[in-house]
Amino acid sequence: MLNIEEIQKILPQKFPFLMIDRVLELEPGKKIVALKNISINESFFGGHFPGQPVMPGVLIIEAMAQAAIIMFYSPENVSGDKKASYYLASVKVRFLHPLTAGDQLKIEVEPIKVISGAGLVKAQASAGGKEIASAELSFSVKHV
Amino acid sequence: MPDLENEIRNMIAEIVEKDPAQVTLDAKFFEELGMDSMMALEIMAGMEKKYKITIPEEKLTQLTTLRETVAVAKEYLEKKNA
Repeated sequence: MLNIEEIQKILPQKFPFLMIDRVLELEPGKKIVALKNISINESFFGGHFPGQPVMPGVLIIEAMAQAAIIMFYSPENVSGDKKASYYLASVKVRFLHPLTAGDQLKIEVEPIKVISGAGLVKAQASAGGKEIASAELSFSVKHV
Repeated sequence: MPDLENEIRNMIAEIVEKDPAQVTLDAKFFEELGMDSMMALEIMAGMEKKYKITIPEEKLTQLTTLRETVAVAKEYLEKKNA
């Protein structure tokens, strides 16, 4: 649905902080299903943890947040030189299983409540059909 | 509706991380309970989910005390049941 080139045009985050590789399904403002492939080459595995690669939970949250940014993106929202800045306000999360090298992280995000300039979303992370984490994220958006 | 009042009080107390006893009917959310606009959005979304109602965005500024918040919830519950 969206390849990495298109994703990079939408996300304000850049290398080495891109946490979405592909978008499988997208209904703008309503639903997104996105993927991140976890490779042993991820730089964080060097320290998290030596000899026991576990993807940091905060980066799973980051992947959820980036999927949400893509879900809310629409070309009409980009006005001239004004860029949207996203600020995470709160996170309620439960981690159920660890992620490691070779896993494919699948993230699904849907809105709970959206108002002008802010929103609350529900995010589910899974890998190979196993639930990895579920979360609620709230964020604000400023156009600067 | 005392139940509605207590349910919403407990929800607010959890979001602002205060003891429910501090969330009196007229304690001011922003000045006295340290709430911000993002927490107000969480309260709104929490009430929508719990009571299966939809509260329009412009009501957000009305959420300033527990008394006002209960009144908003009541208004939309009555609309739903009407």
